[in-house]
Amino acid sequence: MTARYAVRDIWISWAGIAVVLAVWQAIATWGLINPAIFPGPFEVARAAVTLVPLERVLLHAGSSLTRIVWGFSLGAGLGIAIGVASGWYRGLGSVVRAPIELLRPIPPLAWIPMAIIWFGLGEPSKVFIIFLGAFFPVVTNAYKGMTGVDPDLFRAAQTLGLGGWRLLMHVALPASLPDVATGVRVGWSLSFGALVAAELIAADRGLGFMIMNARELGQIGVIMYGIMVIGALNFLTDWLIREALFRRRLRWHFAS
Amino acid sequence: MNQPAATPKIVVNGVSRQFPAADPERGLALQDINLTIGANEFVSVVGRSGCGKTTLLNLIAGLLRPTEGEVCIDGRRVEGPGPDRGMVFQHSALFPWLTAIENVEFGPRNLGVPRDRRRALARELIDLVRLRGFEDKYPRELSGGMKQRVAIARALATDPEILLMDEPFGALDELTRAEMQEELLRIWGARRKTVVFVTHSIMEAIYLSDRVVVLSPHPGRVRREVPIPMPRPRQRSSTEFMAYYEDIHGSIF
Amino acid sequence: MGAVTVAVLLVAWETAGRVGLLSAYHFPRPSRLAVTIWDLVVVGFPVGVTVWQHVGATIARIVQGYVLAAALAVPLGLVIGGVRALDQATAPVVTFARSVATISLLPLAVAWFGVGERSRVLLIAYGCFWVILTNVVEGVKSVDPELIRAGRMLGSTPRQVFTRVVLPASTPRIFAGMKVALGLAFMVIVGVEMIGTIKGLGALIMEARTFYRSDTAMVGMIFIALFGFALARLLDRLERVLLPWSTGLEAVER
Ligand SMILES: Nc1ncnc2c1ncn2[C@@H]1O[C@H](COP(=O)(O)OP(=O)(O)OP(=O)(O)O)[C@@H](O)[C@H]1O
Ligand SMILES: [Mg+2]
Repeated sequence: MTARYAVRDIWISWAGIAVVLAVWQAIATWGLINPAIFPGPFEVARAAVTLVPLERVLLHAGSSLTRIVWGFSLGAGLGIAIGVASGWYRGLGSVVRAPIELLRPIPPLAWIPMAIIWFGLGEPSKVFIIFLGAFFPVVTNAYKGMTGVDPDLFRAAQTLGLGGWRLLMHVALPASLPDVATGVRVGWSLSFGALVAAELIAADRGLGFMIMNARELGQIGVIMYGIMVIGALNFLTDWLIREALFRRRLRWHFAS
Repeated sequence: MNQPAATPKIVVNGVSRQFPAADPERGLALQDINLTIGANEFVSVVGRSGCGKTTLLNLIAGLLRPTEGEVCIDGRRVEGPGPDRGMVFQHSALFPWLTAIENVEFGPRNLGVPRDRRRALARELIDLVRLRGFEDKYPRELSGGMKQRVAIARALATDPEILLMDEPFGALDELTRAEMQEELLRIWGARRKTVVFVTHSIMEAIYLSDRVVVLSPHPGRVRREVPIPMPRPRQRSSTEFMAYYEDIHGSIF
Repeated sequence: MGAVTVAVLLVAWETAGRVGLLSAYHFPRPSRLAVTIWDLVVVGFPVGVTVWQHVGATIARIVQGYVLAAALAVPLGLVIGGVRALDQATAPVVTFARSVATISLLPLAVAWFGVGERSRVLLIAYGCFWVILTNVVEGVKSVDPELIRAGRMLGSTPRQVFTRVVLPASTPRIFAGMKVALGLAFMVIVGVEMIGTIKGLGALIMEARTFYRSDTAMVGMIFIALFGFALARLLDRLERVLLPWSTGLEAVER
């Protein structure tokens, strides 16, 4: 792609965004849908500025992020540990795979009642739901990566004097990194969904609570604002993960 | 150098290899293989696809255990792979997360060679396989032939006494192939290596080796061993060369 | 080996429950769960709403939302994928819309459409729509240009190139997207069934908690898992029948 094309592409992308905003505003302005329940972008912006001070939003975003960071790191960390260990030690794999496969099809949100029964209504039950969102994709992909390594790579390393632990560190782990990274990304998006759901159902702070609260107050503009903040946060964090993992560590795996 | 040396470097002694298979006849990849390869000898192995050439190399490398018999290097039984035997794999088997030069450095790094020295060594080998300028490319950015050349450099990096090569030039164009053959002969002569070379090309086998081993398929056995006592450099068009070709070709088909 | 592990775990769970190591409320024993399943089949929970009605309600919502999403996303994706400028123009919007967690739309959907079926179906459709759309677009875009050239050389008109080359070549990716979307539908359904209804598997487990029936909640989870697993298998089967030549692709994220 030449530079000239790239510049044109950026303009087209902005134009696309502008069209969407314009149509949205037009519908609201001309009252095609009852403006009371369908505010346009300007109204949403005004609601954002007047009804929720920025520091409150940041506070909510902060508690949401704290929850997801806890739940996600625990889930991804344990997922990688178990996935790698069960892929490396065949015996362990044959023992832990079956229970994991049985629990995997249960959506994280379906655990909410049990989580509340086990951990009560406080933070631990939310962290647990988020944990589940991350754990299953990560453990599954890590295991898949570990067991899918081209056996010739192990052979090549062995003829170059590698054995035991170092085979794990220098061959199996790097070779399964692309799969682990995929699991981490899927896990992040599931964790995010779980976070929002947990906050909608039972929370007194966090972005999910903010929009639920706005619904009770009938502030549609704030709901929309909250949804967009959640979307932006998800987008931004996903982008960060992609940059960190895929661009930097996995340049060898993808087109540069 | 044309004559097999007196001290056997590699002894393959009554080796059979059975793979798990529904039909045990089918699973028998190699049966009762006996081979003695002298130090500094260049031996080629030819035979139809699936006759067990790769299996034989894996057995010598110590990557596979024989179901019967044993493989000895310098009189000692092979128990596993080691950096004394370098291997060039049929499908190059480069580490995709390492650049070309990092792949070459892989072996020396394991042996604890200091960074500067192994860098220098790797650069030398990269030059040897004519890949200067491609050091920092990842395998997926290299062509099939380039990958194969990196794999050769990687195998040479630990300076192994024995080189096991599984169709290393299969993916190369005619010209590069001829160049690499010369290079290989040069390395072999200069660094005094014992080479076991698997190829599909009878011409290549005759051009390079002191001896050509012909395997027969299902189960894999040594059908013939043909010494090639021609002086080097060899003329591919000579009548003697062609006579060897006809002879070996006839015993495969 | 896997079956042995699971059997051992179940027996351990049962005994731990019987000797009082695990509380009956927090970890209802497997034998208790079996009884609950039976109750749920013949009596129902809440009384009169049997498990089949729950499953039926959930299936109906998923199928409606999913089919609606696919019916919109596939044609739209084919067009967007085929026209470069359109893809450029929509990419940021699509990416953002995908990032919007479907569950976060629940309050808005309730405000717009009330707590009825419409909200639930539309939310499922929303989540599935963007996943399918992304994969259809990506599928069309990543068709090997050599295939298109080959089609042209063999005398296909532009239209034929589209229907006979581009479309079949992108179906594996489309299928991959459909599978991911199904998983997402299961994630969303539980969330949207948690309010405003007593029918559906998500409603079942939420109701169960309200009445302190942990056994029923667990049985509900088992049913969701079984049902999700069965639907995923069905799609796999369908893929193998419809696309016997495909090696199976992974969905893209973008
Ligand atoms: N890991 C394995 N498990 C089962 N059978 C195997 C395995 N490896 C090789 N075989 C069988 O052993 C026989 C010899 O295989 P091998 O790879 O050594 O052949 P080859 O001579 O190298 O063939 P090619 O020239 O095509 O590379 C084949 O019939 C193959 O099917
Ligand atoms: Mg082979």
